[in-house]
Amino acid sequence: MRETPEQEMIVVIDDDYAIRLSCQKILTKAGFQVETFEDGSQGLEGVARLKPSLVVVDLKMPGISGMEVIARVHEIVPQAIIVVITGYATIGTAVEAMKVGAYDFLPKPFSPDELRVIVNRGLERRRLALESERSEVERALLKRRFITFVSHQLQTPLVAVHQCLDVLKQLGGAEGTEAKRQEWINRCLSRTEEMLAIIKDWLALAKVEADSLSRRRVSVDLRRVVSDILRAYEEMAGRESITLEARLPEEPCLVKGDRTCMGVLFDNLIVNAIKYNKAGGKVTVSAEEVDGEVVAAVTDTGIGIAEKHRPFLFEEFYRIKDESGKRTTGTGLGLPICKKIVTELGGKIEVESELEAGSTFRVRLPASREQEEADSSGSLE
Amino acid sequence: MKPGRKKILIVDDDADFLEALAFFLERNNYEVVKAHDGREGLRLAKMQRPDLIIVDIMMNERTEGLFTAQEIRRTPELEGVPVFVLSALYSKVPDFQIQPDSGWMAHDEFFSKPVDTAELLAKIRGRLGQEKRETAGEVEP
Repeated sequence: MRETPEQEMIVVIDDDYAIRLSCQKILTKAGFQVETFEDGSQGLEGVARLKPSLVVVDLKMPGISGMEVIARVHEIVPQAIIVVITGYATIGTAVEAMKVGAYDFLPKPFSPDELRVIVNRGLERRRLALESERSEVERALLKRRFITFVSHQLQTPLVAVHQCLDVLKQLGGAEGTEAKRQEWINRCLSRTEEMLAIIKDWLALAKVEADSLSRRRVSVDLRRVVSDILRAYEEMAGRESITLEARLPEEPCLVKGDRTCMGVLFDNLIVNAIKYNKAGGKVTVSAEEVDGEVVAAVTDTGIGIAEKHRPFLFEEFYRIKDESGKRTTGTGLGLPICKKIVTELGGKIEVESELEAGSTFRVRLPASREQEEADSSGSLE
Repeated sequence: MKPGRKKILIVDDDADFLEALAFFLERNNYEVVKAHDGREGLRLAKMQRPDLIIVDIMMNERTEGLFTAQEIRRTPELEGVPVFVLSALYSKVPDFQIQPDSGWMAHDEFFSKPVDTAELLAKIRGRLGQEKRETAGEVEP
């Protein structure tokens, strides 16, 4: 007998001793737990006690009729699959049994194989039904949670802006309050920027989720993607005296994707590396092809990410407070977007970090063998 | 009775909101103590003995403020200190986390965010009494 931790329970209800015995033998041998009962009322007690996955019921029994048993079993265990056995197989009785909830029909006499096939088919159907029910519930929960979260993420800065405007209103045009007014206006501006960033990221995430990636995949040279982004952020990095360095090979680093998504991916990683760096620090972006994979890494010399945060970095809306504990930065959506893009393209994203030393975000994507598609946006050289 | 101004502790993880509310209360002649999370709030409450405490419910992306409020209620030296709770997410105090026998709800006020400062001031004055008007810069909302 096969012993598995999740042996499924089958209940057989039949007044015929020979049938009970053979069902017991065949199904036990097939790896199920089997209990048999000789009439409807005992059978229903058994069903209530054992909560079986599948019930085999004889339609013609003394006492409670098979039809009634079918209906009652579903009251007790709604997810149980019911297979009916009968000696007088006609289309009519089969249809009647199906109407009251039976899943399948087994005419007497039946072979061990027939019983096994029908039982397995029934259990498979039950698994599918359970799974789809579970995923429906999960999807609904996730959606509700996501909407609540996004609302709160937007509400928080909006409330702060409102309260700051309230302060400005109180200050009015009183003399000597010019500097104060400017301070509160700046607070408002930075919070409205935060809101815009959240909405922008949220839309980007929705776009990635809507499968825009898979529509048109072309060979993209990561060297060019990276160089373009680094050039765009030179000024921002310069303000904090952060050096940007690209370590790119002579030959192209081609991956299959689309240019926009690759841009979003490395834009996010490089901006993070600048934002969470120290003044005078360095951002290094490298890319190389190793064993059919393009490995790109964005390394910063920032404060690093504590180990406790690392498992959650790629979760939507996960944010880390700064050292003072007073402020969180970022929308909490940047890295989830990166992860979505990389996963969609069949790749992986990993993080390595050391506190006070810096972090490396490493992206692995399948290398593309095709030439980069001609593009109007100019070449690398 | 303590001499001087009444002391109000504000516990909120949004620095801008905290500063804005503090600004308003200070202008209305209250002394304000600021805390950026529940733990700091509780510590400052015990240390500073405020006359009234204002706590935001949603802090650090969870309902930390409710635990803070309950902890305050369980702290003997803070007995009788009014606790006002604020929330942007809820339009009333979510009852799913309140122990029915905790007994603190009856005394407290709930405000949704953004806070109507006129109403807040009226409720604070209702609890702490009218403040003497000393500061020249005081502004009625």
